[in-house]
Amino acid sequence: MNNRLEELRTQKGWTQQELADQVAVSRQTIISLENGRYNPSILLAFRLARLFEMPIEDLFLYNEEDLNG
Amino acid sequence: MDSQSKWIATRVRLGWALLAVGVVLAGMGAWLEFQYLYVANNFRILTGLGILLGGIGIGFVVRYHAAAKDAQSARRLNAEERDERTVMIRARAGNRAYWVSAALIYIGLMWVSFSWADLPPLGGDALWYYLAACVLIPFGVYIASILIDERNL
Repeated sequence: MNNRLEELRTQKGWTQQELADQVAVSRQTIISLENGRYNPSILLAFRLARLFEMPIEDLFLYNEEDLNG
Repeated sequence: MDSQSKWIATRVRLGWALLAVGVVLAGMGAWLEFQYLYVANNFRILTGLGILLGGIGIGFVVRYHAAAKDAQSARRLNAEERDERTVMIRARAGNRAYWVSAALIYIGLMWVSFSWADLPPLGGDALWYYLAACVLIPFGVYIASILIDERNL
């Protein structure tokens, strides 16, 4: 699943570790999310969306193709 | 003290407790070995268990002691330990190791069940090596699975 995490994090001027600290995950998880290798749980997706003050669907971009991945 | 610091403090206490139990067991095992040289039971199993527990205890203390002094490090370590991706990777590795373990035990069971017919009986050194493989192979699968998933996920 694609997402705008890296773009939004850069806009805020946060490092990956700073973002990880704010949502209580490891830096490696943020790296994997930004690379699109890992899909977050619904709870983490909500925490990230709340942090960036936007709906989940604006942060995580769902494609029908993701169903097959 | 916040919840993270409490969690870290509990881990440090657990580490010291494991180390203490390990030292007592290892010491007792070594003492018994020298006291009862001609006893059929080998007390090295007790010494070995003590060394294992002591080692785990030292690992806990080293890992969590530094974090106990600093709230930021405690929070970060807590987040890393409970990180959902890490938990998922460990769960997948555990699942794979379980199936490999179950398959090895099933093969062993079948071998023993039919050894009265055509298969040579599993005993002595062969049995020992087979049981050692039943322990080591799933552990290897667990570690390999974690390494692969850490790289790919």
